[in-house]
Amino acid sequence: MADPRWLTDIELERALRELGPRYPYPPTPNLAAAVRRRIVARPMAPVRRLALWRDPRRLALAAAVVLVLAGAAALINPTTRDAIAHFFHVPGVIVSRVSPVPSLSPVTPLNLGRRTTMADAQSAVSFTIAVPSSLGTPDAIYVDTEVPGGEVALAYAPRPGIPLVKQTELGVLITEFRGDLVPGFLTKEAGPSTTLEETSVNGDPGWWVAGEPHLVITRIGDTDYPVTLRMAANTLIWEHGGVTYRIESGLSRADAFRIAAGLP
Amino acid sequence: MEGRPLDELALVERARTGDVNAYEALVQQYQQLAYRVAYQVTRDAADAEDAAQEAFVNAYYALGRFRPGAPFKPWLCRIVANEAHNRRMAAYRRTALADRAQRAQASGEAAPSPEAAAEADEFRATLVETLGRLRDDDRLILSYRLFFDFSEADMAQALKVPKGTVKSRLSRALTRLRAALPADFQLASGGTVDG
Repeated sequence: MADPRWLTDIELERALRELGPRYPYPPTPNLAAAVRRRIVARPMAPVRRLALWRDPRRLALAAAVVLVLAGAAALINPTTRDAIAHFFHVPGVIVSRVSPVPSLSPVTPLNLGRRTTMADAQSAVSFTIAVPSSLGTPDAIYVDTEVPGGEVALAYAPRPGIPLVKQTELGVLITEFRGDLVPGFLTKEAGPSTTLEETSVNGDPGWWVAGEPHLVITRIGDTDYPVTLRMAANTLIWEHGGVTYRIESGLSRADAFRIAAGLP
Repeated sequence: MEGRPLDELALVERARTGDVNAYEALVQQYQQLAYRVAYQVTRDAADAEDAAQEAFVNAYYALGRFRPGAPFKPWLCRIVANEAHNRRMAAYRRTALADRAQRAQASGEAAPSPEAAAEADEFRATLVETLGRLRDDDRLILSYRLFFDFSEADMAQALKVPKGTVKSRLSRALTRLRAALPADFQLASGGTVDG
Protein backbone atom coordinates (compact mmCIF):
# COMPACT_ATOMS: atom_id res chain seq x y z
CA MET A 1 0.00 0.00 0.00
CA ALA A 2 1.35 3.46 -0.91
CA ASP A 3 1.71 5.91 1.89
CA PRO A 4 2.05 9.62 1.08
CA ARG A 5 3.81 10.18 4.38
CA TRP A 6 6.93 8.85 2.70
CA LEU A 7 6.86 11.28 -0.21
CA THR A 8 9.77 13.66 -0.05
CA ASP A 9 9.41 17.41 -0.49
CA ILE A 10 11.18 17.08 -3.83
CA GLU A 11 8.72 14.44 -5.05
CA LEU A 12 5.76 16.49 -3.90
CA GLU A 13 7.16 19.66 -5.48
CA ARG A 14 7.70 17.80 -8.75
CA ALA A 15 4.14 16.48 -8.66
CA LEU A 16 2.80 20.00 -8.08
CA ARG A 17 4.97 21.51 -10.81
CA GLU A 18 3.60 18.92 -13.22
CA LEU A 19 0.08 19.71 -12.07
CA GLY A 20 0.51 23.50 -12.54
CA PRO A 21 -0.01 23.75 -16.33
CA ARG A 22 -2.92 21.28 -16.16
CA TYR A 23 -4.66 22.79 -13.15
CA PRO A 24 -8.39 22.95 -13.96
CA TYR A 25 -8.86 26.72 -13.82
CA PRO A 26 -11.99 28.17 -15.36
CA PRO A 27 -11.20 30.24 -18.47
CA THR A 28 -9.73 33.65 -17.56
CA PRO A 29 -12.37 36.32 -18.11
CA ASN A 30 -11.44 39.53 -19.91
CA LEU A 31 -11.03 41.90 -16.99
CA ALA A 32 -9.33 44.72 -18.86
CA ALA A 33 -12.49 46.20 -20.38
CA ALA A 34 -14.41 46.27 -17.10
CA VAL A 35 -11.44 47.70 -15.21
CA ARG A 36 -10.97 50.37 -17.88
CA ARG A 37 -14.63 51.39 -17.67
CA ARG A 38 -14.39 51.78 -13.92
CA ILE A 39 -11.18 53.78 -13.79
CA VAL A 40 -12.19 56.03 -16.66
CA ALA A 41 -15.40 56.82 -14.78
CA ARG A 42 -13.41 57.92 -11.72
CA PRO A 43 -10.11 59.46 -12.80
CA MET A 44 -7.13 59.18 -10.52
CA ALA A 45 -6.55 62.27 -8.43
CA PRO A 46 -3.26 63.13 -6.83
CA VAL A 47 -3.19 62.75 -3.07
CA ARG A 48 -3.41 66.16 -1.51
CA ARG A 49 -2.07 66.71 1.99
CA LEU A 50 -4.57 68.15 4.39
CA ALA A 51 -4.44 71.86 4.50
CA LEU A 52 -2.78 73.06 7.53
CA TRP A 53 -2.17 76.22 5.74
CA ARG A 54 -4.87 78.09 7.56
CA ASP A 55 -2.62 78.36 10.59
CA PRO A 56 0.43 80.59 9.98
CA ARG A 57 2.53 78.71 12.55
CA ARG A 58 1.83 75.46 10.80
CA LEU A 59 2.55 77.00 7.47
CA ALA A 60 5.97 78.06 8.71
CA LEU A 61 6.66 74.62 10.10
CA ALA A 62 5.47 72.90 6.97
CA ALA A 63 7.58 75.21 4.84
CA ALA A 64 10.60 74.30 6.93
CA VAL A 65 9.86 70.62 6.49
CA VAL A 66 9.50 71.01 2.76
CA LEU A 67 12.72 72.98 2.51
CA VAL A 68 14.68 70.48 4.51
CA LEU A 69 13.33 67.54 2.62
CA ALA A 70 13.79 69.06 -0.79
CA GLY A 71 10.46 69.74 -2.26
CA ALA A 72 8.16 67.55 -4.18
CA ALA A 73 9.87 64.27 -3.35
CA ALA A 74 8.90 64.96 0.22
CA LEU A 75 5.29 64.20 -0.51
CA ILE A 76 6.13 60.77 -1.86
CA ASN A 77 8.73 59.62 0.62
CA PRO A 78 7.06 57.70 3.49
CA THR A 79 9.49 59.14 6.01
CA THR A 80 8.46 62.62 5.06
CA ARG A 81 4.84 61.69 5.20
CA ASP A 82 5.45 60.73 8.75
CA ALA A 83 7.05 64.06 9.51
CA ILE A 84 3.89 65.67 8.24
CA ALA A 85 1.75 63.20 10.18
CA HIS A 86 3.52 64.11 13.37
CA PHE A 87 2.77 67.64 12.50
CA PHE A 88 -0.81 66.50 12.63
CA HIS A 89 -0.20 65.41 16.19
CA VAL A 90 -1.25 61.79 16.08
CA PRO A 91 1.84 59.59 15.86
CA GLY A 92 1.63 56.70 13.44
CA VAL A 93 -1.28 58.26 11.58
CA ILE A 94 -1.41 60.05 8.24
CA VAL A 95 -4.64 61.74 7.26
CA SER A 96 -5.20 62.89 3.69
CA ARG A 97 -8.01 64.42 1.74
CA VAL A 98 -8.41 62.76 -1.67
CA SER A 99 -10.85 63.13 -4.48
CA PRO A 100 -12.32 60.82 -5.44
CA VAL A 101 -11.80 58.31 -2.68
CA PRO A 102 -11.04 54.85 -4.11
CA SER A 103 -13.96 52.46 -4.10
CA LEU A 104 -13.55 49.20 -2.25
CA SER A 105 -16.05 46.49 -1.53
CA PRO A 106 -17.86 47.24 1.75
CA VAL A 107 -16.38 44.28 3.57
CA THR A 108 -12.66 43.72 3.22
CA PRO A 109 -10.44 41.74 5.57
CA LEU A 110 -9.86 43.48 8.87
CA ASN A 111 -6.54 41.66 9.33
CA LEU A 112 -6.60 42.18 13.05
CA GLY A 113 -4.12 39.42 13.81
CA ARG A 114 -4.89 36.31 15.80
CA ARG A 115 -7.84 35.97 18.13
CA THR A 116 -6.73 35.51 21.70
CA THR A 117 -7.39 36.20 25.36
CA MET A 118 -6.84 39.47 27.14
CA ALA A 119 -4.01 37.97 29.19
CA ASP A 120 -2.23 36.69 26.11
CA ALA A 121 -2.75 39.97 24.27
CA GLN A 122 -1.37 41.91 27.21
CA SER A 123 1.73 39.75 27.32
CA ALA A 124 2.28 40.26 23.59
CA VAL A 125 2.15 44.07 23.43
CA SER A 126 4.47 46.68 24.89
CA PHE A 127 1.82 48.92 26.43
CA THR A 128 -1.03 48.55 28.90
CA ILE A 129 -4.20 47.60 27.07
CA ALA A 130 -7.07 49.88 27.96
CA VAL A 131 -10.68 48.70 27.89
CA PRO A 132 -13.40 51.37 27.82
CA SER A 133 -15.51 51.18 30.95
CA SER A 134 -18.70 52.03 29.09
CA LEU A 135 -18.45 48.99 26.81
CA GLY A 136 -17.06 46.46 29.26
CA THR A 137 -15.41 43.19 28.29
CA PRO A 138 -14.90 42.87 24.51
CA ASP A 139 -16.67 40.10 22.61
CA ALA A 140 -13.39 39.24 20.91
CA ILE A 141 -9.77 40.26 21.33
CA TYR A 142 -7.13 40.13 18.61
CA VAL A 143 -3.43 40.78 18.74
CA ASP A 144 -1.03 41.42 15.88
CA THR A 145 2.59 40.98 16.87
CA GLU A 146 3.92 41.88 13.42
CA VAL A 147 3.28 45.50 14.31
CA PRO A 148 6.27 46.84 16.30
CA GLY A 149 5.17 47.06 19.92
CA GLY A 150 2.10 45.02 19.01
CA GLU A 151 -1.41 46.04 18.06
CA VAL A 152 -4.46 44.96 19.97
CA ALA A 153 -8.04 45.05 18.67
CA LEU A 154 -11.11 44.92 20.89
CA ALA A 155 -14.24 43.88 19.02
CA TYR A 156 -17.76 44.52 20.26
CA ALA A 157 -20.81 43.01 18.61
CA PRO A 158 -23.79 45.25 17.78
CA ARG A 159 -26.27 45.69 20.61
CA PRO A 160 -29.13 48.04 21.45
CA GLY A 161 -27.75 51.53 21.03
CA ILE A 162 -24.73 50.29 19.06
CA PRO A 163 -25.57 49.73 15.38
CA LEU A 164 -23.96 47.22 13.07
CA VAL A 165 -21.16 48.68 10.94
CA LYS A 166 -21.20 46.97 7.57
CA GLN A 167 -17.51 47.67 6.92
CA THR A 168 -16.45 45.70 10.00
CA GLU A 169 -19.56 43.58 10.66
CA LEU A 170 -19.12 44.72 14.25
CA GLY A 171 -20.68 47.30 16.54
CA VAL A 172 -17.50 48.92 17.80
CA LEU A 173 -13.89 48.19 16.93
CA ILE A 174 -11.15 49.64 19.10
CA THR A 175 -7.51 49.32 18.14
CA GLU A 176 -4.50 50.32 20.17
CA PHE A 177 -0.89 50.43 18.99
CA ARG A 178 2.40 52.18 19.67
CA GLY A 179 2.11 55.02 17.18
CA ASP A 180 5.50 56.27 18.31
CA LEU A 181 7.14 53.02 17.17
CA VAL A 182 5.42 52.64 13.80
CA PRO A 183 5.47 55.95 11.96
CA GLY A 184 3.20 55.86 8.96
CA PHE A 185 1.49 52.68 10.14
CA LEU A 186 -2.00 53.92 9.51
CA THR A 187 -3.13 56.11 6.63
CA LYS A 188 -6.61 57.51 6.33
CA GLU A 189 -7.85 58.91 3.04
CA ALA A 190 -11.10 60.79 3.11
CA GLY A 191 -13.19 61.87 0.17
CA PRO A 192 -15.09 65.13 -0.17
CA SER A 193 -18.17 63.77 1.63
CA THR A 194 -16.25 62.71 4.72
CA THR A 195 -15.94 65.05 7.67
CA LEU A 196 -12.38 65.55 8.90
CA GLU A 197 -12.21 67.37 12.19
CA GLU A 198 -9.10 68.05 14.18
CA THR A 199 -10.10 67.63 17.76
CA SER A 200 -8.95 67.01 21.29
CA VAL A 201 -9.66 63.73 23.09
CA ASN A 202 -9.14 63.66 26.84
CA GLY A 203 -6.81 66.62 26.34
CA ASP A 204 -4.75 64.91 23.64
CA PRO A 205 -4.77 65.82 19.95
CA GLY A 206 -6.88 63.64 17.70
CA TRP A 207 -9.10 63.34 14.65
CA TRP A 208 -12.81 62.75 14.18
CA VAL A 209 -13.40 61.24 10.74
CA ALA A 210 -17.07 60.72 9.97
CA GLY A 211 -19.76 60.61 7.34
CA GLU A 212 -19.00 58.86 4.08
CA PRO A 213 -16.74 55.84 4.75
CA HIS A 214 -13.08 56.59 4.31
CA LEU A 215 -10.17 54.45 3.16
CA VAL A 216 -7.86 53.06 5.80
CA ILE A 217 -4.51 51.55 4.94
CA THR A 218 -2.10 50.00 7.37
CA ARG A 219 1.50 49.42 6.43
CA ILE A 220 4.48 48.24 8.44
CA GLY A 221 7.85 49.74 7.66
CA ASP A 222 8.96 51.37 4.47
CA THR A 223 7.00 49.16 2.14
CA ASP A 224 4.46 49.47 -0.63
CA TYR A 225 2.57 46.46 0.53
CA PRO A 226 -0.42 47.29 2.68
CA VAL A 227 -1.40 44.97 5.50
CA THR A 228 -4.92 46.31 5.37
CA LEU A 229 -6.74 48.20 2.68
CA ARG A 230 -10.38 48.74 3.52
CA MET A 231 -13.19 51.22 3.96
CA ALA A 232 -13.84 52.41 7.50
CA ALA A 233 -16.80 53.97 9.29
CA ASN A 234 -16.86 56.88 11.76
CA THR A 235 -13.57 56.96 13.59
CA LEU A 236 -12.19 58.84 16.56
CA ILE A 237 -8.42 58.59 16.77
CA TRP A 238 -5.94 60.08 19.20
CA GLU A 239 -2.66 59.45 20.96
CA HIS A 240 -1.78 59.37 24.61
CA GLY A 241 1.53 58.37 26.15
CA GLY A 242 2.90 56.93 22.92
CA VAL A 243 -0.17 54.74 22.34
CA THR A 244 -2.54 55.58 19.51
CA TYR A 245 -6.17 54.72 20.17
CA ARG A 246 -8.79 54.30 17.49
CA ILE A 247 -12.55 53.82 17.91
CA GLU A 248 -14.48 52.83 14.77
CA SER A 249 -18.25 52.58 14.92
CA GLY A 250 -21.50 53.83 13.45
CA LEU A 251 -21.99 56.00 16.51
CA SER A 252 -22.30 59.77 16.65
CA ARG A 253 -19.46 62.06 17.62
CA ALA A 254 -20.88 62.48 21.11
CA ASP A 255 -21.25 58.73 21.65
CA ALA A 256 -17.73 58.08 20.37
CA PHE A 257 -16.37 60.67 22.79
CA ARG A 258 -18.30 59.01 25.61
CA ILE A 259 -16.49 55.74 24.87
CA ALA A 260 -13.17 57.59 24.61
CA ALA A 261 -13.75 59.08 28.05
CA GLY A 262 -13.21 55.62 29.48
CA LEU A 263 -9.82 55.30 27.78
CA PRO A 264 -6.54 57.12 28.48
CA MET B 1 2.65 35.71 -18.64
CA GLU B 2 5.04 38.58 -17.97
CA GLY B 3 6.36 41.22 -20.33
CA ARG B 4 9.89 42.48 -20.43
CA PRO B 5 10.78 44.29 -17.22
CA LEU B 6 11.58 47.54 -19.04
CA ASP B 7 8.17 47.50 -20.67
CA GLU B 8 6.57 46.88 -17.34
CA LEU B 9 8.49 49.65 -15.60
CA ALA B 10 7.43 52.08 -18.30
CA LEU B 11 3.82 50.96 -18.15
CA VAL B 12 3.70 51.29 -14.37
CA GLU B 13 5.26 54.75 -14.50
CA ARG B 14 2.79 55.88 -17.15
CA ALA B 15 -0.12 54.38 -15.22
CA ARG B 16 1.02 56.21 -12.08
CA THR B 17 0.42 59.47 -13.89
CA GLY B 18 -3.12 58.41 -14.75
CA ASP B 19 -2.48 56.92 -18.21
CA VAL B 20 -5.46 54.60 -18.57
CA ASN B 21 -4.11 52.93 -21.71
CA ALA B 22 -0.90 51.99 -19.93
CA TYR B 23 -2.84 50.53 -17.02
CA GLU B 24 -5.11 48.59 -19.36
CA ALA B 25 -2.00 47.05 -20.88
CA LEU B 26 -0.86 46.02 -17.41
CA VAL B 27 -4.26 44.49 -16.70
CA GLN B 28 -4.08 42.50 -19.92
CA GLN B 29 -0.60 41.37 -19.01
CA TYR B 30 -1.52 40.21 -15.52
CA GLN B 31 -5.19 39.32 -15.70
CA GLN B 32 -4.61 35.60 -16.09
CA LEU B 33 -2.22 35.49 -13.14
CA ALA B 34 -4.50 37.69 -11.03
CA TYR B 35 -7.55 35.58 -11.84
CA ARG B 36 -5.73 32.35 -11.05
CA VAL B 37 -4.35 33.67 -7.78
CA ALA B 38 -7.87 34.78 -6.85
CA TYR B 39 -9.26 31.38 -7.86
CA GLN B 40 -6.73 29.59 -5.67
CA VAL B 41 -8.15 31.51 -2.73
CA THR B 42 -11.87 31.63 -3.52
CA ARG B 43 -12.28 28.27 -5.33
CA ASP B 44 -15.19 29.90 -7.09
CA ALA B 45 -15.10 31.28 -10.64
CA ALA B 46 -17.46 34.22 -10.08
CA ASP B 47 -15.85 35.26 -6.79
CA ALA B 48 -12.41 35.03 -8.39
CA GLU B 49 -13.49 37.26 -11.28
CA ASP B 50 -15.01 39.82 -8.91
CA ALA B 51 -11.95 39.76 -6.66
CA ALA B 52 -9.49 40.15 -9.53
CA GLN B 53 -11.45 43.00 -11.08
CA GLU B 54 -11.81 44.79 -7.73
CA ALA B 55 -8.11 44.30 -7.04
CA PHE B 56 -7.11 45.84 -10.37
CA VAL B 57 -9.31 48.85 -9.69
CA ASN B 58 -7.97 49.22 -6.13
CA ALA B 59 -4.40 48.84 -7.32
CA TYR B 60 -4.92 51.61 -9.88
CA TYR B 61 -6.00 54.08 -7.22
CA ALA B 62 -3.18 52.90 -4.95
CA LEU B 63 -0.49 53.48 -7.59
CA GLY B 64 0.33 56.81 -5.97
CA ARG B 65 1.69 54.84 -3.04
CA PHE B 66 3.55 52.32 -5.18
CA ARG B 67 7.30 52.75 -4.92
CA PRO B 68 8.72 53.57 -8.36
CA GLY B 69 10.87 50.74 -9.66
CA ALA B 70 9.44 48.15 -7.25
CA PRO B 71 8.18 44.89 -8.79
CA PHE B 72 4.55 45.24 -9.78
CA LYS B 73 3.61 41.55 -9.82
CA PRO B 74 3.93 40.71 -6.11
CA TRP B 75 2.39 44.05 -5.12
CA LEU B 76 -0.60 43.33 -7.34
CA CYS B 77 -0.89 39.73 -6.16
CA ARG B 78 -0.99 40.85 -2.57
CA ILE B 79 -3.97 43.09 -3.31
CA VAL B 80 -5.61 40.31 -5.34
CA ALA B 81 -5.14 37.74 -2.58
CA ASN B 82 -6.51 40.16 0.04
CA GLU B 83 -9.57 40.89 -2.03
CA ALA B 84 -10.08 37.18 -2.80
CA HIS B 85 -9.71 36.30 0.85
CA ASN B 86 -12.34 38.87 1.65
CA ARG B 87 -14.74 37.32 -0.88
CA ARG B 88 -14.10 33.89 0.54
CA MET B 89 -14.78 35.05 4.09
CA ALA B 90 -17.92 36.86 2.98
CA ALA B 91 -19.08 33.73 1.18
CA TYR B 92 -18.56 31.65 4.28
CA ARG B 93 -20.49 34.15 6.33
CA ARG B 94 -23.39 33.90 3.89
CA THR B 95 -23.43 30.16 3.58
CA ALA B 96 -22.71 27.34 5.95
CA LEU B 97 -19.60 25.44 5.03
CA ALA B 98 -21.39 22.19 4.35
CA ASP B 99 -24.04 23.83 2.18
CA ARG B 100 -21.37 25.55 0.20
CA ALA B 101 -19.39 22.39 -0.36
CA GLN B 102 -22.57 20.66 -1.51
CA ARG B 103 -23.32 23.49 -3.94
CA ALA B 104 -19.79 23.40 -5.25
CA GLN B 105 -20.08 19.69 -5.92
CA ALA B 106 -23.43 20.14 -7.65
CA SER B 107 -22.24 22.99 -9.85
CA GLY B 108 -19.01 21.25 -10.77
CA GLU B 109 -16.77 23.75 -9.00
CA ALA B 110 -15.03 21.00 -7.12
CA ALA B 111 -12.39 18.77 -8.56
CA PRO B 112 -13.61 16.12 -10.98
CA SER B 113 -14.42 12.77 -9.46
CA PRO B 114 -11.38 10.49 -9.48
CA GLU B 115 -13.60 7.58 -10.49
CA ALA B 116 -14.74 9.43 -13.59
CA ALA B 117 -11.28 10.38 -14.69
CA ALA B 118 -8.58 8.48 -16.49
CA GLU B 119 -5.81 7.12 -14.30
CA ALA B 120 -3.44 9.96 -15.11
CA ASP B 121 -6.18 12.44 -14.34
CA GLU B 122 -6.99 10.65 -11.11
CA PHE B 123 -3.62 11.60 -9.74
CA ARG B 124 -4.15 15.24 -10.66
CA ALA B 125 -7.72 15.23 -9.39
CA THR B 126 -6.56 13.89 -6.05
CA LEU B 127 -3.91 16.59 -5.78
CA VAL B 128 -6.39 19.31 -6.75
CA GLU B 129 -8.95 18.03 -4.27
CA THR B 130 -6.37 17.78 -1.50
CA LEU B 131 -5.03 21.27 -2.22
CA GLY B 132 -8.59 22.52 -1.95
CA ARG B 133 -8.77 21.28 1.62
CA LEU B 134 -5.60 23.10 2.68
CA ARG B 135 -5.54 26.44 4.47
CA ASP B 136 -5.72 29.40 2.10
CA ASP B 137 -2.22 30.59 2.97
CA ASP B 138 -0.75 27.13 2.36
CA ARG B 139 -2.47 26.83 -1.02
CA LEU B 140 -1.35 30.33 -1.91
CA ILE B 141 2.33 29.82 -1.11
CA LEU B 142 2.39 26.48 -2.95
CA SER B 143 0.70 28.12 -5.94
CA TYR B 144 3.06 31.08 -6.01
CA ARG B 145 6.10 28.85 -5.95
CA LEU B 146 5.10 25.76 -7.90
CA PHE B 147 2.31 26.91 -10.22
CA PHE B 148 3.28 30.52 -10.91
CA ASP B 149 7.04 30.16 -10.45
CA PHE B 150 7.52 33.19 -8.19
CA SER B 151 11.00 33.91 -6.89
CA GLU B 152 11.46 33.81 -3.13
CA ALA B 153 11.70 37.61 -3.10
CA ASP B 154 8.42 37.94 -4.97
CA MET B 155 6.75 35.41 -2.66
CA ALA B 156 7.97 37.31 0.38
CA GLN B 157 6.53 40.53 -0.98
CA ALA B 158 3.27 38.98 -2.13
CA LEU B 159 2.73 37.26 1.21
CA LYS B 160 4.17 40.11 3.29
CA VAL B 161 6.54 37.86 5.17
CA PRO B 162 10.28 38.22 5.70
CA LYS B 163 12.28 36.66 2.87
CA GLY B 164 13.98 34.36 5.37
CA THR B 165 10.72 32.70 6.37
CA VAL B 166 9.49 31.86 2.86
CA LYS B 167 11.33 28.52 2.74
CA SER B 168 10.09 27.39 6.14
CA ARG B 169 6.52 28.37 5.30
CA LEU B 170 6.74 26.50 2.01
CA SER B 171 8.08 23.47 3.81
CA ARG B 172 5.26 23.59 6.36
CA ALA B 173 2.71 23.86 3.55
CA LEU B 174 4.20 20.77 1.88
CA THR B 175 4.09 18.92 5.18
CA ARG B 176 0.42 19.72 5.62
CA LEU B 177 -0.30 18.75 2.00
CA ARG B 178 1.46 15.44 2.55
CA ALA B 179 -0.58 14.79 5.69
CA ALA B 180 -3.81 15.59 3.86
CA LEU B 181 -3.20 13.23 0.93
CA PRO B 182 -5.20 9.99 0.91
CA ALA B 183 -3.38 6.93 2.16
CA ASP B 184 -3.31 5.27 -1.28
CA PHE B 185 -1.99 8.30 -3.16
CA GLN B 186 0.39 7.33 -5.96
CA LEU B 187 2.75 9.51 -7.93
CA ALA B 188 1.76 10.15 -11.55
CA SER B 189 4.88 8.49 -12.85
CA GLY B 190 3.48 5.21 -11.55
CA GLY B 191 6.09 5.01 -8.86
CA THR B 192 4.45 3.86 -5.70
CA VAL B 193 6.10 4.84 -2.50
CA ASP B 194 5.83 1.96 -0.11
CA GLY B 195 5.41 2.74 3.50
